[in-house]
Order: sequence, then structure tokens, then C-alpha cells
Amino acid sequence: MSAVTIDPILLSVYARTFRSITDEMSISMEQTTRSPILCEAKDYVTGLYDGDGNMLEQTENLPILAFSLAPVCKYIKEFFGDEIYPGDVIFHNDVFSLGNQNNDVAVFKPVFFEGRLVAWTAVKGHQADIGGNVAGGYNPNAVEVWQEALRIPPVKVVEKGKLRKDVWNLIFANVRLDIVQHDMKAEMGACTVGERRLLELLAKYGVPSYEAHKEALFDATRKMMEAEIAKIPNGSYSGEGKVFYDGRHVGSKFTIRVDIEVKDKSIRFDYSRTDPQTNGFVNGTFTSSASATILTLLQMVNPDIPHNEGMVQPIEIVIPEGTILNAAYPKATTFGNHLCPPNADAIQRALAPVMPERVTAGWNNLLASLTTGIDPRTNEKYVDIGFMGLKGGSGAMLGTDGYDHIGMIDASGGVLDQDYEMFEQQTPHRLIRHELLTDSAGAGEWRGGLGVETIFEIGSDDTQLVTFGDGDFEPAFGLFGGGSGGLNFIRLHYPDGQTVVPKNKDLITGVPRGTVYHQVASGGGGYGDPQRRSRKLLAEEVRNGVISEKAARELYGYEAEGSA
Amino acid sequence: MTLKIGIDVGGTFTDFVVTRDGAEPAIFKSLSTPADPSIAVVNGLADIAASMDPPLSLEAFAPLIDTIVHGTTVTTNATLTGNGAKCGLLTTEGVRDALEMRRGVREEQYNNRYTNVKPLVPRYLRAGIPGRLDRDGNEVAALDVEEVARALELFRREGVEAVSICFMNSFANPAHEQAAAELVRRELPDAYLSVSTDLLPSIRFYERVSTTALNSYVGPKLNHYLDQLVGRLEGIGFDGLLLIMQSNGGVISPQLAREKAALTLLSGPAGGPGAGLFYVRTHGQDRCIITDMGGTSFEASVAVGTPMIKNDGEIARHKIALPMLDIHTIGAGGGSIGWLDEGGLLRMGPQSAGADPGPACYGKGGKLPATTDANVVLGYLDPEFFAGGKMKLDVAAARAAIEEHIATPMGLTVEEAAAGMYRVACNNMAQGVREVTIKRGFDPREFPFIPAGGAGPIHSCLICDELEIPLQIVPRESSVLCAFGMLMSELKHDFVRTFVSRLDALDWPKLAQIIGEMASEGARQLTEERIPDARRRFDVKLDCRYIKQYHEVSFVVPGNLIDAHDSAGIASAFHAEHNRLYGYSLEQEGTPVEVINVRVQAIGVTDKPVAREEPWAGDDAAHALKGRRAVYIPETKTFRDVPVYDGHRMGHGNRIDGPAMIEQETTAIFVSASYDCVVDALGSFALFRKGREDLVKSCIKDKKEALA
Repeated sequence: MSAVTIDPILLSVYARTFRSITDEMSISMEQTTRSPILCEAKDYVTGLYDGDGNMLEQTENLPILAFSLAPVCKYIKEFFGDEIYPGDVIFHNDVFSLGNQNNDVAVFKPVFFEGRLVAWTAVKGHQADIGGNVAGGYNPNAVEVWQEALRIPPVKVVEKGKLRKDVWNLIFANVRLDIVQHDMKAEMGACTVGERRLLELLAKYGVPSYEAHKEALFDATRKMMEAEIAKIPNGSYSGEGKVFYDGRHVGSKFTIRVDIEVKDKSIRFDYSRTDPQTNGFVNGTFTSSASATILTLLQMVNPDIPHNEGMVQPIEIVIPEGTILNAAYPKATTFGNHLCPPNADAIQRALAPVMPERVTAGWNNLLASLTTGIDPRTNEKYVDIGFMGLKGGSGAMLGTDGYDHIGMIDASGGVLDQDYEMFEQQTPHRLIRHELLTDSAGAGEWRGGLGVETIFEIGSDDTQLVTFGDGDFEPAFGLFGGGSGGLNFIRLHYPDGQTVVPKNKDLITGVPRGTVYHQVASGGGGYGDPQRRSRKLLAEEVRNGVISEKAARELYGYEAEGSA
Repeated sequence: MTLKIGIDVGGTFTDFVVTRDGAEPAIFKSLSTPADPSIAVVNGLADIAASMDPPLSLEAFAPLIDTIVHGTTVTTNATLTGNGAKCGLLTTEGVRDALEMRRGVREEQYNNRYTNVKPLVPRYLRAGIPGRLDRDGNEVAALDVEEVARALELFRREGVEAVSICFMNSFANPAHEQAAAELVRRELPDAYLSVSTDLLPSIRFYERVSTTALNSYVGPKLNHYLDQLVGRLEGIGFDGLLLIMQSNGGVISPQLAREKAALTLLSGPAGGPGAGLFYVRTHGQDRCIITDMGGTSFEASVAVGTPMIKNDGEIARHKIALPMLDIHTIGAGGGSIGWLDEGGLLRMGPQSAGADPGPACYGKGGKLPATTDANVVLGYLDPEFFAGGKMKLDVAAARAAIEEHIATPMGLTVEEAAAGMYRVACNNMAQGVREVTIKRGFDPREFPFIPAGGAGPIHSCLICDELEIPLQIVPRESSVLCAFGMLMSELKHDFVRTFVSRLDALDWPKLAQIIGEMASEGARQLTEERIPDARRRFDVKLDCRYIKQYHEVSFVVPGNLIDAHDSAGIASAFHAEHNRLYGYSLEQEGTPVEVINVRVQAIGVTDKPVAREEPWAGDDAAHALKGRRAVYIPETKTFRDVPVYDGHRMGHGNRIDGPAMIEQETTAIFVSASYDCVVDALGSFALFRKGREDLVKSCIKDKKEALA
């Protein structure tokens, strides 16, 4: 292998082809899955790994899932040792063997060429159900993993090309929805798509060339990442982010603390001072928290850096077990992915003083809901994951306003709201308002992204509503004189005139038909002194009604022409 | 004698193809005139007139033209450059931001500097009007006509040129939109008007409002352009039939194009895919991959019996849900610039040197190395014979650019660097072809490959190597394939209605009524276009999905299945198409299928240029040999002296072994060491993988036997 000389041109061909393979796997997932969270919201990631589980390339539709596959791949290889065979298919979701979230269930497929294990293809997607006490997995009352989901440590569902029916049945006997079997088959299909393409590539260039060039690719990518890190001055930087309410103890509040150490070409994120784990489901896993760290950093560097092992090599992440970002066995952790926003806040705040041109102000934190009930028109059960209401604005940065209606930072515009007319076909609800919310963005020389107000009338009797999220106690923060965004809320106006305000992690039952659901996903934080914002932009924004005349005057010192 | 001219306006050149019964198609090019593209049209027609035997004046020639088919980029460019009309939108109260929110997508997730696209209608000109229909089209609240009037008063004050109307659930009942449209016609009679249910009465609000707003955005521009074009053509005495190319690969009358301007958003490249089929049929094939390599972009599409269509297109990040050809575009062309990323990897494009200053070898001041510069260094382009010798290429400038920006930093020779650029460019294009083949469920190896654009056939051997495609067809007209394809296009009118129902519980009389209504609307348009009954065809498609899926599959349904109320037959056609696209169906599981939309395409068959068989000229190509020169052979990574043939002198049956170069005035073809070439009956160059004579039997065996 060492005899292969690196062909710099072939290197580019490998890089481009790896990318095209994971893209193709992603499209296969989008088109063959049935659960809306997969085919509409694209809550999945597809990836290629070398024989040792090092990341070759990934297509990350939802960045929070992005960095949870390679560690598991390495774990699986170690676990099965020399009992990995061509034609195996391995499932995994277990958060205590490096999974990120119970409902994110992965498929790994070893790729053999000329009898040797040379690579892995993998897909991880958010499954609509994976057992546990509550359909869909969001159980605010859970304190242990078994109340949340079926644990799947690495398990072969197919061995040497043969389906293990007994294993398959054991798993799906513990899952509520048939659709999940189908969607797991779709994950397996996408792995096969990737395997087929990779084998074509190996047949063309041979294993020695592939082995040598992937290492060269890691090197090249590592250098790009190191060059980006080298732009940050050496030193130690600290920041904090807040988490409100663990789902069980009203008034509870937790702090994520990060100490970032930059030394030349390497960067270290140390979360040792972070608060201890909660006695609820508001806890992270190591991989979900580390993914949050990496995706936040990636938004501050050159977006063209390829996503492979070389990219993560200069990054060290320390999260002690027993903290809210890395709960100890057997704590409940379903909410863990949603600790990304406060984690990102801590990192942005820490780095703002030394890389003011790269950080953003705070993003609107996620507050989401899920309604279920019986659709009176069909007498069938419907489930609506409330994508419509949950997408607030992003934080502004130097020179660029925040992005309106983008949603949480861990998706960064990768999750879409429903089409309004499809929403009315697929749920019994009727949409009343879904528009950008005036004055929701944090003021600044560059303003935050605007939030969104969503109002609909609930059309089913005895409706159940689950909420999960944050952002209703503390708004997205501003930077360098920029103002903060607004607060999130969800309110239910019952037909009898009563108003119910669910907690940010809650389960409400018996919501009557005709109730008006009212949600605000507010705006992101602003950046820089609002007095310096372009008057021309302000004139347009006032005319367009995204900033009111009053706010323009009071926050920006802007007088509309003819209004003074 | 029927004289037809296809005209394709490009960024640099306006292409013309002239066909007459019994004569070989003739190719002309004139310099484009972006400020008023119709000037280049008339200039080109003057050139064509002067080339007639005997030469004619423009005024004497114009009345002889029977048909002009015209592809325009006026609407495309207005959208890409954000230079459309000032528009107002009447929409439902509470959802006026749908157009701007775009369902909350940010296409570049890791790029915080990536901003949202500017909305086609600014917020203060988007009026939310009270009045509401439920999802079945029943009125929940009456339309507030006073609010409409107030909005129109604002539009008038603001000098709005075009008005769009799109209300929630109007696909189920157009009454509110029609009432509002009446008011617009009365109050703002000069405004260009687009009504969503006239354009696209199908479900999905964002798609519909975006499509409607696009129509208004480009409508006034297209009308202005057609005024200029029609005026100039009338001025020179043309009184034949003028047809406009649409994005769906069909043509329409200028009058319809004026009303539904969004139909022309992909007018320019839409001629190519249909033309491809013309050339492969002579080899007994009914499918092909069509690619077109220009200066900045590379376009790929697939035809299987007919060019593939998609209903969920996008232009400049705006959704357009009108049926359009499924053409995939990537930033790879002759002007694509080579560069090294921060990790030191060689990349090509998407940045392009364009036509001005162009690649370094153009000698117009370009200093950055482009694909064309690599092609010059590798010997694929003869610097003395570029564009038939009309433009000399500066080899030294090409070498200098490659040396400075690629070779020296990578520690390579200039030749090695150029070979790398060539290879990376070909790899990019091969990935582009994968987008329309493998990702749509097609195996590219089963498709003949048609490389169009002047530089396309220089790269096609390596692209086909990568994709293991054994047969390439390079038409004589490959440098103007889109213009030629326009002459092959039918009149096509698309209609759609949303009709949500389970397939096994269809209301058949209602379905028949919906189809009948769309067909008679199509018939009315064909009547206006003077198409007799015998030349009309109506194709029905259904958009279906498995219950609870989110994405529909659109497939052709034979009329007899509908007449026989054969839902099982329709279901199995759906299962088959789903299986082809996604590798599985849920037929075994018995998952119910639901219909979402019903589509009708009304087709008026036009006169086509008659395929003309070239006489058999024997297999020996020696008479066309014009010299030898050293070119780069990718298979061995060396330069080698290869024969250079004059393509114009090659005839049906002439055969060449690769590696070799074939040159025509507007095209250079590189036959690599892995391919041989034979000229087919239409005069196209058929490049087949060595040893695969079976693919080109019609040009080899049968003829040999006939002669024996």
C-alpha cells in the first residue's frame, strides 16, 4: 500500500465521487421513506466510512446527526471483531454505546472487496417510534432509558446475506408503528446503494490506491481545518448557555459551561464545569453533544471543507460523564439533541471576543409541539409534528442579517415547514395565520432573523398535545450592542374562553375541537449598534412592516419620512 | 419546398438551423445582441438570405419562410438577474409571506453568510385579503372585495406592472380568484395578470403562489420582447408561422406565451432533449442521454421515448411547478476556471471566465486557466482552426495561466496539470449525468450518449468511460442541437387539476368529466393554432402515491384503462413506475394508492424535417485525412501523434480507429483510444467502444453485406 504514489488529480476524483455516493444514498432515503419526519423533514444522515470506521464523506441533512456515526462504526467493529462478514447488516440506536438519541436508529453495512473489509456504508434516521412508554419517544416523565425506548446495541439483523427473522421480529414486536419496519428497510436499501457505488470505484482503481488516497484526503482536509483554527488567536475562552426546565421540576434551570482552548492548529472544548445531569429526560449523550459542538464550529469556518475524518482530527471534545451533556447510564436522554441551541450559545459567546467576524448572535431556540387525535372526516388517527410553527430566526453576524424563519441551529434550514394546503388535507386543522412576526428580530446594525407567528384552529375532539423545547424564558441574545430576539410561546385558547399555556415540556390531553392554537417562534439576536443600521434598509423594512415605526424610532433612532 | 428555421438565442451566439425538404440542414450563427435579442435574429436571417443560391435580399427571403421556431432566454435572464416586472400579489389573509418564507429552507446549512433570495413581490405589495375556502373548496368566509379594491388602489399608486392572484385552496374552487381577477381587469386594465388557477390549479400553496408570481414577474418582459420580435419579422415581410419554445419541450403560439410567460422559463435548452431521439432512432434505439456543454454550464437530460419531465422545478431558488423538461445544470463549461482549494485539491468551476474575457487562450485579457485552455495544451483544439479558423487561440497564454495557477503550486508539469484539469472537468460532468440517470432509476450504460455544444465531443469519451457508456452519437448539428431540436417539437399544452381520491374508490364519472374539461380546453387552443383533428393527441397522466406518502409519482395512464374503470390496471402501472424509480413497490403489502392530481397534455403534431439518408460511402475514411498532431491520450497518460480528419468530408460508413481527432467548423471530436468511430446514415459520428460493432450494425454489417 505504501508503494502507491498519490495522484493529485485522482485525489480530486475520489473526493468528488465519495460525495456523489453519499448524496445518492440521501436521495434514496428521501424518496423511499414514508414517515414525514424522514421524507419531508429529512431527519437523517447518510455516510461512508473506511474499514476502521473513519469518516470518508457524509450527507448531513440534519447536522445534529452528523457526527454520531463514525464513533459507533468504530465501536461496532471492535464489538464484532473478526465476526464481520460480507452481507451483514447491523442495527444500532443504544445511547450508552455511543448512540445520540434513541429514536435515531442506524443501519451499518460492511463493504468487502476481494475478501477484505475495506469500508462501511451507514444511514441513521429519526424513526417515528422505537418503543418505550410514549408513542414517538418524547416522554417528559421518563427518568430511565427503558421508559423511553427499546435499546438496540449493535445487532445483526442480516448475517451473511440472510435475514435473521427472529431478531427482526424481536425488534419490531417492541415498536408501535408498522411504518418503522418499512423505513428501516429504506435505510438498508440506501446502504446497499452506497455499497454498490463504492464497489464500482474499487473495481476501477483497486484497494491500494483507495487506501492511500483516502489517507491523503484526510491529510488535505485536516490541513484546511487547521488553517481555519490557526486564524483564532491562541488562548482560553469561556461561555455559558442556559437550559430551562427538566420536564419534572418547575423552575429548574441548568447551565452549560464551555472552556475553549485554542493552541496553534488545534482546538479543545472542555465542558467539565457544566451542571450535573437532571433527573428527567433533559440530558445529552456524548455524541449528540459533540455533534452540537462540531456543527457550531463548522458554521464559523470555510463551508467548503469536506466532511471526513481529517476535518475532526484537530478538534478535541471533553464532556465528563454525569453532566447534563453526557448523562450516565441509565438516565433518560431523549431531549438531548435539543441541548444543541444552549450549547451553541455557550460557544458563540466564548468565541465572540476573539473571532467577532465569524460568530453569530443567538439563534431562536426550539419550541415544538405535536398534536394527535382522530380526524373526524375519516375517523382515522393523525399525528402532526408541528413543523409549521417551530421555525424562528437565526442570529445576525458581522455584515449579514440573520435568516428569517430558519429554525433551530441544529437543522440550520434543513427542516421545512409543511405546505399550507397539505397541512389542511392531512390534519383536521384550519390554518388562520402563518407569517413573519413584526419586531420579533433582535435589533442591530445587522438584525436577527425574523420569527414566525402561527395560528390554527384544532379540528379534532379530545386532542392530545405534547410540547418540547425551550426559548420561552430567555430570548436569543444580541452581540456587540445588538438587541435580543423575542420569547417563544405556545398558547391554547379553548372555545369556552379559557387560555391554557403549556409548559415547555408538557403533555396536555382532552383539548377540544375549535381550540385556537397560537404559537410564536421568535427572532434571532442582533449584532452591532442598531443606530448604525442602514437607513435605506430601515426605510424598506418599515414599509414592508417587518419593523414597526415605533420600534424603528425607539430601537434604531429612525424617523420614517413624513412621520415626524 | 417547406422552409423552417430554428433559432436559439445564447449568451454569445444566436444559433440558426435551416431545413428544407430534401436538403441537408444548414447551420448559421450570429453574434447575440443582449439589449434586444431580436436584432441578432434579423441579422442572422439576413446572412441566411445572402447564402441562398442565388443570394436573396432579406425582404425577398422572409416571405419564403414557412415556420420559425424560437427559443428565448428573455424570461430566464430576467429571473436570474432579478430584473423582472414590479409586481403586486393578492393572496389570502394570514399567509401573505409564503412567497418569501419558502417553507424556511436555507440551501447552504453551514454557511451563515448565505442569505435568503429576494422575494419576487416585496412584502408591502403582498396584500392579504379576507375570504376563505376550506380544503374541499367550500366557502368559509366571503371574499372581501373592498379589501381587494384597496389593494388595487395601492398597486396603482405604486406603479405596479403585473398582478398575481393566489388564494388558499383555490385549486378546489376558483371562484374567489375569478372574482378578484374581474376587479383587476376593471381597475387596472393595463396590468399583466396571472391567476393561479388559470396557470396551475393543483394543490400545494407555496408551489402555486411561487409559479404564479414568476409568471407575473417575467410576463411584461416577454411581451415587450415579443412585440419587438414580431414587429421586426413583420417589418421584413415574414408572414409564416411563429412558434415559441416552452420549458416542457413543446412549442406554443406567441399569444399563449404572452399569457403564460412562465412556460418559457427554460425555453433555451428545451430543444435539445427531443432532438437527441431523432439521431438514435437510426440505430434502433428509443432512449438517450443528451448533454450540452456551453461556456459556463453543462446540461444533462434523459429521453425514454420522449424527454423526461418534472413537475417540481426551480429557477434562481424560486419554485416552478409547471411541467418542464428534467434538465440538470451544473457549472461546468469551456470557461470553467481551474483552482486549488485550501487543502490543495484541484477543482474546476463553477466560476467561469464566460465569453468575456473568456479563457486565457482567447487573448482577451483572461489570466485564469479554464477548461478550454487545458484543451488547447492537450492538443484537442487546433489553435489555428478554432471556430473554423475565425478566431486564433493563444497557446502561450493558456500555458502561462495553467503554469502559474495549477502546475507550479501542485508541482506538476503544464501538461500534467492540463490533463488533471481535463480529467476533473470530465468527472464533474459525469456526476452531472448521474443526476439524471442513476438518481432517476436509469442505468446510463443502456443509453446512447449525445454530446452537444462545440466542446462537448472533446470530453465525451472520458465521461462515457467513467459511466461505462458504450455508444456516443455526435450529430452534425451537435453545436446547435437546441435550435435543431426546436424544429422537431410538437405543440404541447399542459393541464392539471387536483382530484384527491383513493384509487380503489374513484368517482369515475367525475374523473371522466375532469379529463374531458381539460381536453376540450386543449382542443380549443389547438383549434386556435389551426391544428386539424387528425393531428391531435391527448395524453392523460395521474399523480399518485401510497397512502400517507408525501411525494407523488406522475405516470402515463392509457385511455382504455380509464374507459374500462380499471383501477387494478392503473394501480399496477403505478407500482411498476414506483419500482423503477425507487427500487421497490408496496404491491405485495396491499398498501392503498391515492390519486392527487390528474393531468392532460394536448399535443398538436407538427411537420418535421424529413430524415435524409446519406448514400453509402464505404468504410475507408482516408480521403478525409487532413494531417496528424500530438494529443493527450488519457488511457496511457502520454501524448501521441494521431490522425486528424476533416469531418465535413466523411460520409456514411466511413470508419476511423481511435485514437483520432475529427474536426468540423463548429465542433472538434476526440475519439479516445477506447473507442472507434463510424459515420451513420444521418451523417452522425457514432463512437462505439472498441469491439462493440454490434451497436452500430446499421452502419457496418448490413451495408457490407449489401455491397458484397
